[in-house]
Amino acid sequence: MTTDTTDLPENETEVGDALDTRVPVTVLTGFLGSGKTTLLNRILTEQHGLRIAVIENEFGEVGIDDALVLDAEEEIFEMNNGCICCTVRGDLIRILGALMRRRERFDRIVIETTGLAEPAPVAQTFFMDDEIASQLRLDAIVTLVDAAHIRAHLDEVKPEGVENEAVEQIAFADRIVLNKTDLVDHQTLAEVVARIRAVNALADILPAQQAAVDLPRILDVHAFDLDRVLETDPQFLTETEHQHDTTVTSVGIDLEGELDEDRLNTWLGTLLRERGTDIFRSKGILALEGAERQYVFQGVHMLLDGEMGRQWGIGEPRRNRLVFIGRNLDRDELNAGFAACLTATPAAVTA
Amino acid sequence: MSTATTLDVDTAWETAVEDAPVAVHSAAGLVAVAGADGTCWILDTTTGDIVATVTLPGGILAAQLSPDGAHLALGGPFGHATWSRATNTTLISKTGNWSAAVRWGGNDKVAVASGRRALVLAADGEQLWATDPAPSTVTDVAWLRENRRLATTAYNGVRCYERHSARPVTEYGYLGSHLALAIAPTGRWICSGNQDASIHIWRTLPQPSAGGTPIGGDLTMHGYPDKIARLAFDDTGYWLASDGAPDITVWDFSGKGPEGTRPRTLRAHETVTALAWRPGGAGILASAGAEGTLALWRATRGRAGARLRPAHTRELDQPVTALAWAGPDLLVTADWEGRVHASRLPAALPR
Repeated sequence: MTTDTTDLPENETEVGDALDTRVPVTVLTGFLGSGKTTLLNRILTEQHGLRIAVIENEFGEVGIDDALVLDAEEEIFEMNNGCICCTVRGDLIRILGALMRRRERFDRIVIETTGLAEPAPVAQTFFMDDEIASQLRLDAIVTLVDAAHIRAHLDEVKPEGVENEAVEQIAFADRIVLNKTDLVDHQTLAEVVARIRAVNALADILPAQQAAVDLPRILDVHAFDLDRVLETDPQFLTETEHQHDTTVTSVGIDLEGELDEDRLNTWLGTLLRERGTDIFRSKGILALEGAERQYVFQGVHMLLDGEMGRQWGIGEPRRNRLVFIGRNLDRDELNAGFAACLTATPAAVTA
Repeated sequence: MSTATTLDVDTAWETAVEDAPVAVHSAAGLVAVAGADGTCWILDTTTGDIVATVTLPGGILAAQLSPDGAHLALGGPFGHATWSRATNTTLISKTGNWSAAVRWGGNDKVAVASGRRALVLAADGEQLWATDPAPSTVTDVAWLRENRRLATTAYNGVRCYERHSARPVTEYGYLGSHLALAIAPTGRWICSGNQDASIHIWRTLPQPSAGGTPIGGDLTMHGYPDKIARLAFDDTGYWLASDGAPDITVWDFSGKGPEGTRPRTLRAHETVTALAWRPGGAGILASAGAEGTLALWRATRGRAGARLRPAHTRELDQPVTALAWAGPDLLVTADWEGRVHASRLPAALPR
């Protein structure tokens, strides 16, 4: 990851290189009562035999003796690097650092955060600290949602300048476990799904009762891997009847053509620099002019991670797909800004 | 570099401990090798034989022997402990607080980081006094002014305390997460290593009165690729070595200090895992890297900005995770697998 990007970052490695042996880290978040502890105990029970370390931000009741459980008090540190939204979690840096110095290798690390925790500093920690990034891999942010209560949380009006944590946690999620579906009727469930979709078009929504979710759906999903970017098509909410006024939304762009790299750099760099605070997450697959490979990227706020991906297929249309999840996003402005990065000439389909 | 300038290094003894060492410290003919899981082995520096083992349940993060070798202090993720050689007893304090630093101030008292406070304990472990809470977990502690003043690092700066004063008598502020602390033996400089990949330096000119704002200004060394987690002054206080890059940097603090100068850079490692100056101030530095190299340097040779090559290297199967000098002629290293190696150097090193 680079900060304050003005040029598209390009990793030295390309997609499909050496096997990633870093330890996967799952971030489990959600409000008190959403079923986090139940899900955590389910992971520890069903993955019996694996060495799992759990970092808890609130006092939970982990019922498995052979898991290493560490308590952490949230310590959010600003980075003194001019990147205004680059905050990291100091508590996680020191705890994860100490875990890595132990002789036993953990198969998995689960970080359980409170419903009030900000997801961004957690995610950014994995990209801002080289020691952590070299040994640990942020696998996915899994948000638990109580189907019966989430609408109340989402509708809660916060004072000016205060985030609605429920909205943020859904916006940042890669997987949303929609728990306690047995406690609501079909109509309510459909409305809840629509509300979640309006905020986050990318996350898989997994309905569950008693947090009984297929673990392969939430563990080792590689949600931050560049070769999995937009693997499944985002599901934008097309029907409007259930939509509420939400300031946090997903905006998708899907345009054919090739991109002028300089103009794209300027547009994306300016966008992230000026609007990075409001853009929670971004993902995209892009066709750069003359490039044989796709350019894939994903970002958290201003931090952007990108590399050349797979080869374009023979005769494959040069299609650009991007998704932004964020606050006060102007769909038309984003579309126009991106469209202006396309080269004037129609994309040539080369062999 | 010609063979004439290489160092003649013999093995004094070798032994092994059953853990991944996180700290090695030597004093008064003893060397303490602390394992991440919570056992500290105390060895005789002449033979390598085990004198005692001390256990801190839940793991060890820091270990230091008192200068007279009569006591040992340990810090860990869940508390701290003190051990007495005379009685071979250990007093364990399960505070539930993160203790990542322990530092003796003479033989009679030891400073222990404990959550957001630093505690000062008598040699028998009894608490003498404690600081008030810092803005974050205390990351490092150090003594200055003949062990009368205690300095701690935490988020946003260095705080100095005097005996029985809970509030700092002097604060050296600098925004960001400070990870490590080094104070020049001359007392003239306080340096912190930072998460944001910089070294921050304060001059400690004589204060006009007790308390008040430190005069003399401060400076920051930017441009490191990684965070600075290890930094150390040599015994003269003229040289500061640090990690933060594959190359170790050595800054010249003689005269007016390093402002406007360039450091010597020492190239042998991919990532620095340990470094320590040979006692006595002859400019010899030992370092180890994640790639498995152990290196000895004449680290103050050449001119400012010079890139130096090691005077001696040894390739190991496993990286050294901690090392310490047991006097000027014995270097004790501990690798990831728990192998402890004592290297004997000639008392008079060829120039």
